[in-house]
Amino acid sequence: MTNSMTNVEFVQNLVKSNVNVLQEHITDQYQVHFVVEQDQVHYILNILKNAGWIQMSYLSAIDWPEENKFELVYIVFNWEKPVYVQIRTKIDRENPVMNSILPIYPGSKYYERECHEFFGVKFPGNPDYEKQLILENWDDIPPMRKDFDPEAYSKRKFPQREYSETYIVQSEGKSKLAKMEARKQRAESLRGGKK
Amino acid sequence: MKDNENKRYKHASIFGPMRHFKYIFKKPVTHPFKIIFTRKNASYLNDNAIIKNKKRLDSAPRTAPDNLRGFHTNDWEVCIGCGTCADICPTDAIRMVERADLKDEAGKLQQRPVIDYGRCCFCALCVDTCTTESLKMSKEYIYASTDPDQFLLMPEKTWQGEKVEQGYVKTEESDLLDLKRIPMEHIEPDERKKSFIEVVRGYSKEYARQEAARCVECGICTSSCPVQMHIPDYIKAIWEDDIEGGLRQIYETNPLPGVCGRVCTHNCETACAIAVRGEAIAIRWLKRYIIDSAPDDMYDKIFAEPVTEVIDAKIAIAGSGPSSLSAAYYLRALGYTVDVFEEKDRPGGVASYGAPQYRIPDYAVEKDINFIKKIGVNIKTNTRVGTDITLDELQKKYDAVFLGTGFFKARMLNIPGADHKDVIGAMDFLPLARDLARGHLKLDEMNVLPSAVVVGGGDVAFDVARNLTRIQIMKYGKANVLLTSLESRDILPASLDEFVEGGEEAVKMELGFGPQEIMIKNGKVKGLKVWKCLSVFDEAGRFNPKFDETQEQVFEADQVYLSIGQAPDYDYIPESMKDKVIIERGKIKANEVGQVAGQEWLFVGGDIFRGPDIITGVADGHRAAQGIDEFLYKKSKKKEQSEYYKELREAIHFNTPVLAMKPKRK
Ligand code: SF4
Ligand code: SF4
Ligand code: SF4
Repeated sequence: MTNSMTNVEFVQNLVKSNVNVLQEHITDQYQVHFVVEQDQVHYILNILKNAGWIQMSYLSAIDWPEENKFELVYIVFNWEKPVYVQIRTKIDRENPVMNSILPIYPGSKYYERECHEFFGVKFPGNPDYEKQLILENWDDIPPMRKDFDPEAYSKRKFPQREYSETYIVQSEGKSKLAKMEARKQRAESLRGGKK
Repeated sequence: MKDNENKRYKHASIFGPMRHFKYIFKKPVTHPFKIIFTRKNASYLNDNAIIKNKKRLDSAPRTAPDNLRGFHTNDWEVCIGCGTCADICPTDAIRMVERADLKDEAGKLQQRPVIDYGRCCFCALCVDTCTTESLKMSKEYIYASTDPDQFLLMPEKTWQGEKVEQGYVKTEESDLLDLKRIPMEHIEPDERKKSFIEVVRGYSKEYARQEAARCVECGICTSSCPVQMHIPDYIKAIWEDDIEGGLRQIYETNPLPGVCGRVCTHNCETACAIAVRGEAIAIRWLKRYIIDSAPDDMYDKIFAEPVTEVIDAKIAIAGSGPSSLSAAYYLRALGYTVDVFEEKDRPGGVASYGAPQYRIPDYAVEKDINFIKKIGVNIKTNTRVGTDITLDELQKKYDAVFLGTGFFKARMLNIPGADHKDVIGAMDFLPLARDLARGHLKLDEMNVLPSAVVVGGGDVAFDVARNLTRIQIMKYGKANVLLTSLESRDILPASLDEFVEGGEEAVKMELGFGPQEIMIKNGKVKGLKVWKCLSVFDEAGRFNPKFDETQEQVFEADQVYLSIGQAPDYDYIPESMKDKVIIERGKIKANEVGQVAGQEWLFVGGDIFRGPDIITGVADGHRAAQGIDEFLYKKSKKKEQSEYYKELREAIHFNTPVLAMKPKRK
């Protein structure tokens, strides 16, 4: 490492010389991300940790339903060389399994639990990953999956309530809003040309 | 490296590093439990808990991190009740609730959002989409109650009556609204000023759909539209590429959409929710897009059944401007026999003889009028009411008469020299310019000299100046037109489009001067003497201009055009009726639908009744049709009516516009 090298360049060198990087992106001088194969994640995290990226800052996922993938995002931080490094990888969405990184970053224990709760990703190697963390008695598909229907859930769990406070103030006689609604229905009835 | 690390961090934990010890004697960052309450929460707990802890009440409000997505606040002064937040909410947590105690004003709806915190997932999409940025999130996140109804809250500027710190606010990146208008293509100034070619090109399908996609379908604009068009609905039709549906929706409330899609004053755009922070949806041009894209045979689908005489009654209409054509259209659709009398050789009034060809070409006016004719309105051109047929005759031959004769006389100035033949009124010039543009007049028949001063600050003054520019270029190869108005730039009545486009076409402007004398030498106009205008209105807001005589100037020119207002021509009202019709400041007095008091067969609309623009004329026409129907329907003989006819009748009445609210520029 020479002094002329920036921290970002340092990470770039480090990561690229060790694993096959599918894609990289430099957000700014404090943030970079690398997309790698699923089976290289543990290896590269180990190398990063040994190089000073000792803090597991965050672990979460992104749902890509069209691709039928979850993208796992690991964010690690180095206090000496202040760069957030994201390691990203896409895993199967039908049967999402990723070995736990607990042996490398013990702090990932709760993040993996959270990721399981919100996306349904399994983390073998983490004895607690299936334990409930935040959601109480969740009985639907994991809520951060894009096919989760928040509206249906909300209607099922929290029936529509009428706003009965005394400060609903309705117009006497003809309500302008009611008229607007009626006009809207009239206009809709005129549709039906080529769609 | 492994060894090295193990030495430094024995337990391989993020809590390991030695330097963390330096925090041992530092003040902790976490707040102790005793100050976790806001006062509101503390008193709530004290009211409901078994153990009352007085100390809680002294607790200082705790701070949450910046950007926390806590309970919402909504500044009612800013919120316009558009309901966009309710539409986007993924958990259907927001309901709009009517608040009739709010002032009913242009650009706002009398409703505010209520949030069900049972459902809310604090995603902040409502904040990111709020049209006005009134809706924000606070740093408050503690709230408790055993009553589920207590979780339905109507956010206000304060949270639970207390001023609270702001948490999540949207940024430019997270803003979900598209605040920039899809640009409209204009013909380049150097090109367009050589002819009467239409300046605005109109949207392509792709651009129209992109522009339509910006609309949040709130409907706030509709109450500012004089005919209350189904604006969000036809914009949605554009988005879904249903031109036919959009066309039907447009014709419900406006039978002159090709005209209005080009030259409407578009108060709707001034009121548009998106205009609070960005550029209004181009409503006018989207309407034009539907009309431009609708092929002629699609018009046959506007009415599901052919329009016929269902009612045995006849109506005469004097004039064929916007209000007249609108009245004719609706009366015809209601099943009456309608005859329109027009003194000139083509119908359209201001659309055919006032507005310039480069704004509203003949083919567009004809497209609108052809459909009105097609449903059976008879238009008799070259027939002047008052000379070719008298009002008395109309009264005798018809069951009702509608007057929409407009303001077609130029107002002149009472200053020395104003009676010279080269001092020309706007309304004397514009019809000629239009006839020249359509080839009915030859260039050398136009009395246009190489330089001109135009007096006036409204759209019509710009129409005169820009027409003159074109004619001078055609005649002399170059133009020299100066526009001068009493009003300075900041209070100029003309629309921004005119000001910008006029400037692009090199119309010179000297704003803030009052004309004093037409300078004449050897029988020829030499220029216009003006004084600096200090103020146009007095303290009471009345028109009462003040001048500084010491700041005198002469604007040199061969001709002076006056565009200081238009006047009606009531020559056709016979002596016998003159004292039965009340005329106030040029306008005929009538009730809301335009029925003249004491003359229940007589209705008025447009400039001679309400003014001031085309679309208000269209609204007058619709209201008059409603009024005439109420007057004639019961006492007339009727044919058997189809189900469709009944539905149509109902729709025409249902859609009769109310007086629109005038929006303020945002
Ligand atoms: S924060 Fe999200 S869930 Fe809550 S009201 Fe707003 S849009 Fe709905
Ligand atoms: S989106 Fe904003 S302005 Fe519109 S109703 Fe909701 S809070 Fe009010
Ligand atoms: S045009 Fe503007 S005001 Fe009208 S519905 Fe669309 S967003 Fe709302």
